[in-house]
Amino acid sequence: MFAQNVTVTGTVSDNRGEPLIGVTVQIQGTSTGTVTDMDGNFSLPNVPLDATVEISYVGMRTQTIPLNGRSLLRVVLEEDTELLEELVVVGYGQMRRSDLTGSVVSVSEDAIKKSIPTSIDQVLQGRAAGVQIQANSGTPGASSAIRIRGINSLNATSQPIFVIDGVIVDSSTDSESSNPLSSINPSDIVSMDVLKDASATAIYGARASNGVIMITTRRGQSGEALISYDGYIGTQSMPKHLEMMNLQEYARHHNDRSDFSIVEKSSAFVRPDMLGPGTDWQEELYQKALMTSHNLSITGGNEKTTYAISAGFLDQEGIALGSGFRRLSLRGSMDNQVKSWLKAGINFSLSDSKQEVGADNDIIMNALRQQPMVAVYGPDGTFDGPEDVWMPVNPVGMASIRENYNKRHNFRFNTYLDATLADGLTFKTELSTDYNQGSFYYFEPSYRFGVLTNNTRTSRRTKNDTKYWSWRNFLTYNKVLADQHNVNAMLGQEMSESQWENLVGSATGFLSNTTHDLSAGDASKSSGTGSSGASSISSFFGRIFYSFDDRYLLTATLRRDGSSKFAPGNRWGWFPSLAAAWRVTGENFLKDHEVIDTMKFRFGWGGTGNQNVENWAYMALLSPRTTPWGTGVLTGNTANPDLRWETTYSTNLGLDLNLWQNRVEFIADVYYKKTTDLLLQLPLPAYLGSSGQGAASNPWANVGELENKGIEMTLNTVNIDNSGFQWRSNFVFSLNRNKVLSLDTDNSSIEKVYRVGSETNIVTRTTVDQPIGQFWGYRVIGRFEKAEDFYYKDANGNVQQVALPEGVSIGENGSYIGDYIFEDLNKDGKIDNNDATFIGNPEPKFSYGIGNSFSWKGFDLNIFLAGSYGNDVLNYNRRFIEDPRANNNLLKTVLDYAKVDRIDPNGPDDFRNLHLVGGDRRIPRLSASTSNGNNRVSDLYIEDGSFLRIQNISFGYTLPKRWVSKLALDNVRLYTNLQNVYTWTKYRGYDPEIGYMYGDALMSGLDYGRYPSPRIYTFGINLSF
Amino acid sequence: MKNKILIIAALVSLLLWTGCEDFLTQTNNTNPNQETFFDSDQAVEAATSPLYNYVWYTFNEKFYYGMGDGRANNITARWSDYIYPYTNLTETALSIGLEDAWGSLYSVVAQSNNVINNIQEFAGPTVTEEARQTAIAEARFMRGTAYWYLGSLWGKAIIYERTSDLVNNSAIPPHRVTDVMEFAIRDLEFAAKYLPATVATKGRVTRYSAFGMLSRIYLSMAGLTSEGAYNGQNIATDFNRGTRNSYYLDMARKAAMKVVNESPYALMENYGDLFTYENNNCKEAMFQLQWLTGSTDAIGWGANQPIQAFFGWSTLVADGTNWGNATYTSWDLVRTYDPQDRIRRHNTIATYGAYYPELYKKGGGYTYGVTEEGYEDRCNIKKYVIGTIDDNGVSYKQSNGLNTHMLRLAEVYLNLAEAILGNNASTSDATALTYFNMVRERADMPTLSSITYEDLHYERRIELAMEGQYWYDLVRRGYYQQQEVVNYMNNQERNAGYEYDETEDVEYVKTSDGEGVATAEVKHLTLPVSDVDKGKNPYLEGTPEAYEFTEEKITDLY
Repeated sequence: MFAQNVTVTGTVSDNRGEPLIGVTVQIQGTSTGTVTDMDGNFSLPNVPLDATVEISYVGMRTQTIPLNGRSLLRVVLEEDTELLEELVVVGYGQMRRSDLTGSVVSVSEDAIKKSIPTSIDQVLQGRAAGVQIQANSGTPGASSAIRIRGINSLNATSQPIFVIDGVIVDSSTDSESSNPLSSINPSDIVSMDVLKDASATAIYGARASNGVIMITTRRGQSGEALISYDGYIGTQSMPKHLEMMNLQEYARHHNDRSDFSIVEKSSAFVRPDMLGPGTDWQEELYQKALMTSHNLSITGGNEKTTYAISAGFLDQEGIALGSGFRRLSLRGSMDNQVKSWLKAGINFSLSDSKQEVGADNDIIMNALRQQPMVAVYGPDGTFDGPEDVWMPVNPVGMASIRENYNKRHNFRFNTYLDATLADGLTFKTELSTDYNQGSFYYFEPSYRFGVLTNNTRTSRRTKNDTKYWSWRNFLTYNKVLADQHNVNAMLGQEMSESQWENLVGSATGFLSNTTHDLSAGDASKSSGTGSSGASSISSFFGRIFYSFDDRYLLTATLRRDGSSKFAPGNRWGWFPSLAAAWRVTGENFLKDHEVIDTMKFRFGWGGTGNQNVENWAYMALLSPRTTPWGTGVLTGNTANPDLRWETTYSTNLGLDLNLWQNRVEFIADVYYKKTTDLLLQLPLPAYLGSSGQGAASNPWANVGELENKGIEMTLNTVNIDNSGFQWRSNFVFSLNRNKVLSLDTDNSSIEKVYRVGSETNIVTRTTVDQPIGQFWGYRVIGRFEKAEDFYYKDANGNVQQVALPEGVSIGENGSYIGDYIFEDLNKDGKIDNNDATFIGNPEPKFSYGIGNSFSWKGFDLNIFLAGSYGNDVLNYNRRFIEDPRANNNLLKTVLDYAKVDRIDPNGPDDFRNLHLVGGDRRIPRLSASTSNGNNRVSDLYIEDGSFLRIQNISFGYTLPKRWVSKLALDNVRLYTNLQNVYTWTKYRGYDPEIGYMYGDALMSGLDYGRYPSPRIYTFGINLSF
Repeated sequence: MKNKILIIAALVSLLLWTGCEDFLTQTNNTNPNQETFFDSDQAVEAATSPLYNYVWYTFNEKFYYGMGDGRANNITARWSDYIYPYTNLTETALSIGLEDAWGSLYSVVAQSNNVINNIQEFAGPTVTEEARQTAIAEARFMRGTAYWYLGSLWGKAIIYERTSDLVNNSAIPPHRVTDVMEFAIRDLEFAAKYLPATVATKGRVTRYSAFGMLSRIYLSMAGLTSEGAYNGQNIATDFNRGTRNSYYLDMARKAAMKVVNESPYALMENYGDLFTYENNNCKEAMFQLQWLTGSTDAIGWGANQPIQAFFGWSTLVADGTNWGNATYTSWDLVRTYDPQDRIRRHNTIATYGAYYPELYKKGGGYTYGVTEEGYEDRCNIKKYVIGTIDDNGVSYKQSNGLNTHMLRLAEVYLNLAEAILGNNASTSDATALTYFNMVRERADMPTLSSITYEDLHYERRIELAMEGQYWYDLVRRGYYQQQEVVNYMNNQERNAGYEYDETEDVEYVKTSDGEGVATAEVKHLTLPVSDVDKGKNPYLEGTPEAYEFTEEKITDLY
């Protein structure tokens, strides 16, 4: 037979009309085929007219077209949405999203790209329901507080774990400025999956109680190598300055203060009106800062081997002098089909980062507090300083001359062997290691800033080495029986160990400020200390997934973990979970429904653990101390041998709904979580020897129970999709309420104190039947405006004196006209600690994110807003910069302090002859006495921290393929991104997004010298070929 | 075949790690285990060394002089917020430093308890009985001393002997001041019995240190009880009765006589030598806080002596921070110095024209008010200021290695005189006169032939000024002459301004009345408990309770 053959030609494009390059065009049943060229054109010679052509492309739905005599084809490929969202990374495996029974939310590469993150934690804010992110500091390279479904633990580490390609990375930190996640380059990430409920996280057992975030990095694909470059340049600026006094105002206020004998008169301030504006320290400390980033990646491979390589560079200056972050990163991965039944792969990453941390909280506060008459530079060009030893150092000088930075080297690798032992049965063994080398460099040079001098040059070098390794082995069995019963079973074992070592050396006796290494100092005036340790976890786990006809899904997991952090006998814990789902759209009555594409109900329950306590907390140790008589020992901690796992049990009910050909996607979850055996380092009262340099550290204990319940919703819609114009929206809503159910501590409460200088205050209190970490303090109910305000008539008509602070009486050195009136809650006639109460809650009533993206012909516009409602902030800064007595610089509002005047100008200076003649209600009188405690922690410093922020606006243009193909390029996109564009808030400080002090769950929303988040404008280019 | 090997390998590896309790056992290479550490006399001795420094650090840094001298108005500190509320009598439960002071003394208590318990429970058979007793006695010396401070300052304290007993139930009522004093006495009596008479390591306390401290505490107890040995009932209730319990006066005399008759301690020849680095642990020092020498970056925080930073008034006399211009001598102390009492004044406070060859050596010595101008309107504190690193080789920022005097022989001599004076208006007792006059003679002051309370009052205040003692003298007096003390406090012209005037006997003249001072009342004789701890334990405000003593009292001391 002689069939008639023709040459078939055609073009392939996507639904926007853009030609697709490299599309495979193949004659079905043969090996004859070709790929499209730069313009999407193809030509296949010698094709039988009755042949069928198969056209396939990654990410697109494959089309098969019978030629039926045609020789010219115009093919439009549709995106294969099902394929794109198909796989979700879960613990020790992957699952089809449609098979999920737990609550898992994913953030795509797309969202990561649109937010210009420098660290992966920044991506999640407002993008994943139930995940709350707050930047703990705006300093480059700083950490974020990440809370999945509220706070489950009261101890310092209620951060989730990150599992990066199988390697567990702990995101917790006790410092706002250092971030364990900053070593990861966000552009290497292709997806983030947040495991939220226990049925999803239980497979991580002991460490999962605060949630798990799975991160998958880029891997190669077979086909011709793809090289892409992404780079941007940006400027950053300070979004807001506080209104501080200028020199004239400061001088006037200083004169007022000297009238009240708070300070001695200054001859320099005789004529305030003759003075200039003085130094604006905020203007001096903050700067416009540059930011650049370059990323290059290559992916490719063939059927047997695929690879991906990428390199990145980020350089971010800080908006405050003395801060900045720089990172170099390198990553590679390779996957091999070694034998028909054996796969092997390796994946490694290297990163080298340097973070300048010179602009710490003190420097930020110093810039606010420094007096305006102090010049930044003296006449000779050197840094100047105050004439008052009690004033802070020149913050600009300090940030400029002091060496204060850290370097971090990270090497992480993961290698595996994956063997198919029998049909459906695979065995995987994985070995992961994470090496970290952190070095801290500090050098305080000699200086003279006005009267503030330092003659002792001091250098300190710290080296921290950590090594984490884990080895996992698991068998997976996957089988579909009778076309309807899908079984997936997994059984495994894991062991991991963390080791750390540190060395701290410091020296003095340097002869100059130029050489900073320890050897340049005087060896006889140096010291070295160091310590080391390790902790380990051993685990066994299994999971069974069963689905019937894709309609009824069931997942059960069980894990058993042992941790070295507990005494033998308390080491092992069981963590079970069970979840079921019903895909209603699989039922006959909903099959092929016009409106409803997918409808699925999920229900899950499970338990997860937390073992985040200090090592050795179960046993009493001695702490070596140097004394004049050689090494001495003090008891280092109060032991608790009964310490055991903290366990969180959670229940989740969820609904997934897709409507109108997936144009509307709605996901809703409600959950209830109960944490038992809460681990906490007890904040013992000072009389148990818990304070001071010689104190033993407080014991850890299992103290009680806590619940979290909440609702979260995600709505993704395609609003308009026609003639190339597309408008998509997404809306994310999270609501969480927590409450302490029981506490075994005294008074059933936990008080957290905050210390500034030698002043210590209780700032939050956590007690039964109340949300955790609420602000604690006094209530201000008014101000003594006139003598009558000191008295009131009680129910019997008797005149009574208004309650005054304990031990204080009416008088200029006690409570007086112009002082605050505090509420006497217990009506005992005096203001004392029994009148302190809850004055605010840092937890938001709800938080949300709203995203809108528009695209038209290559243009794309994304607007993303994030908000938080109903959270209170304790503006601790104002206690210092709104205290009219203080000698440091103050907010302008202070000028409006309570002015007291005589009623009868010739009358006595008695309170009965005084009244207030003006002043802001918020500011008390000027007084040499502090007896009334006007600036005690009170509701006066509580502010509404609700905000809505335009987190970012990005605008991009993808050049038409026709143009770029002439440059031998595949794809070119130009974009600009504005980040932290605008914030609607009533908060009077820098930034209502406060985060957590020291990462402590009970120290949220306390603003003391927090480095504000910068506003960032970037311009970038994205190209691939 | 291969598959089978793999399956087997997989299963074996799973099994291998099933019994992995070993894998979960980690060893600590940094901190010794308290259960195994105490296996030699040296190890036991190491446990008491930090009781001389770290645990007292916060107390020493500010409260030693802030309360001891500031509250009693030896110091004017109008801008040091950790002192002026106490000087101005305007402190409240919120006052800065209150929580620290309270906490620092309890950290002495807690760590002393730990030492006692650890040694009792874990000191192995390789430790000699002697070393064991000495260490426990040393810890009880510290604990007793801390309780004496707590009882004197707050008029109540929480007595406990083991932190872990209170971890799960820390909200308990405080104990009565008399019980606190009794507890302190029992601790020190134990120390007096079991501490050695002499020590190999200079600076460690001896049994005579304990007797010296007892002479001080018995004097307190004499004011707090009515008659006879304390039995829980004989608590004095009339604080203006004017007399003290003669039983404890006699005990004070006996304790002081032990020191006088048996101890190796002796007065230093020159008063000024007491406050120099070279004379740390000198023959007169019976208990000093022991500080390390070096910069805080080399030695860390907690064993550094920072007082010079708070007293030093210029970079020429002290390294680094100099906050002395906000913490200087009160007008009341300046005017109190007998014009003849120049040696002690010179070494305690800096007065205009005073020449200090040991300061600013490279400029040929330092003349106060001349080398640098602008010091006419104040007298800075000289005691504890020993110059810069160029002068002495040991001064760093907030660290100069100078030991802090907690108890020295001169005080015991004065305690002796006070005990003998007892309830009499004056005494010419030969013993009292001998030792009282030894203190005066060293200061080049004329001897007295009879001693009154006023003589003692002056002598104690001047001899021990800026050594953190004067407030406790007033408190002790307040136990039986309460109104007199309150009136005295109201006549101290707190915060008054003054300036140099060479025509005056005392070389200074008052220029202004003090401002911002509240009227002293009885309540000012004790401190409020800080808001923080009251917030954690509401019982702290309630009535103090009796403490149940279980230990046998030592009866064979005298």
